Amino acid sequence: MQLDNLYQEVILDHYKRPENKGLASKYDVQVHHNNPSCGDDITLNLKDDGAGHLAITWDGVGCAISMASASVMSDLLSDKSPEEAVHISNEFLALMQSKGSLAGDETILEDAVAFAGVSQYPARIKCALLAWMAYKDASLQVLNRRR
Amino acid sequence: MRGGVISFAVNGIHPHDLGQFLDSHGIAVRTGHHCAWPLNRKLGVAATARASLYLYNTESDIDALVESVGLAEKYFGTK
Repeated sequence: MQLDNLYQEVILDHYKRPENKGLASKYDVQVHHNNPSCGDDITLNLKDDGAGHLAITWDGVGCAISMASASVMSDLLSDKSPEEAVHISNEFLALMQSKGSLAGDETILEDAVAFAGVSQYPARIKCALLAWMAYKDASLQVLNRRR
Repeated sequence: MRGGVISFAVNGIHPHDLGQFLDSHGIAVRTGHHCAWPLNRKLGVAATARASLYLYNTESDIDALVESVGLAEKYFGTK
C-alpha cells in the first residue's frame, strides 16, 4: 500500500497547522469524545452565532489522521447551517465506508476528499471519523435545545 | 532474565502514525496500549510503539528500525 495515499499533503498540512484548534471560552455545547483503544481524544465546542451557523473550536491529542480530520471538519462546517453540516457529514461517512470505491465529491467535501485513501485502511477509519462524530453529537444537542 | 521487547515513543509522532510508516518500510511493530493502559497513563503517553526482537532478528534489522524512525520524523515534519 502506498503511504502517500493515506497521508496526503493536505492531511499533513492540517496536522502541522490545524485550523480552529484551541477551545473558545464561550460556547453553547461542549462534547468530549475519545477512542480508548488508541488514545485519540477530542473536546469540541459549538457556539451558535445567531446567524444560523455553529462556530466550531476544538482541542485534542491523537494521530495525524484524527487531528487533521478535526481541522478539516471544523474548517468545512463552521460556516454551514446544522442541516447542511449533516448532509456533508453523511457524505464523509459514506466516503469512509466506501473501502476505496469512492473518490468523494469535492464540491461538497472540499479538502475532506483527501481522506478518501483512509477508507482502505480499516483500522484508521475510526481516527478520521472521531471529530465528525463529536460534531454530530454536539450539533444535535444544539438543535434539541432550539426545539 | 533478559527480554528483547522495547516500548518507545517518538516525540511529536503518534504511535499509530509511526506504526503505519514503519509498516510501509517493511518493519512490523505493535502500537497502542499493549493491554497496559494504566501504565501508559502513569507514563503520560497516549500510546507507545513496541519493537519485539527475537532470535531471528539481526543487527541490520535494528539498523533498519532506527533509520526508518529517522525517516518518519522527516515525513511527519518533527525533525
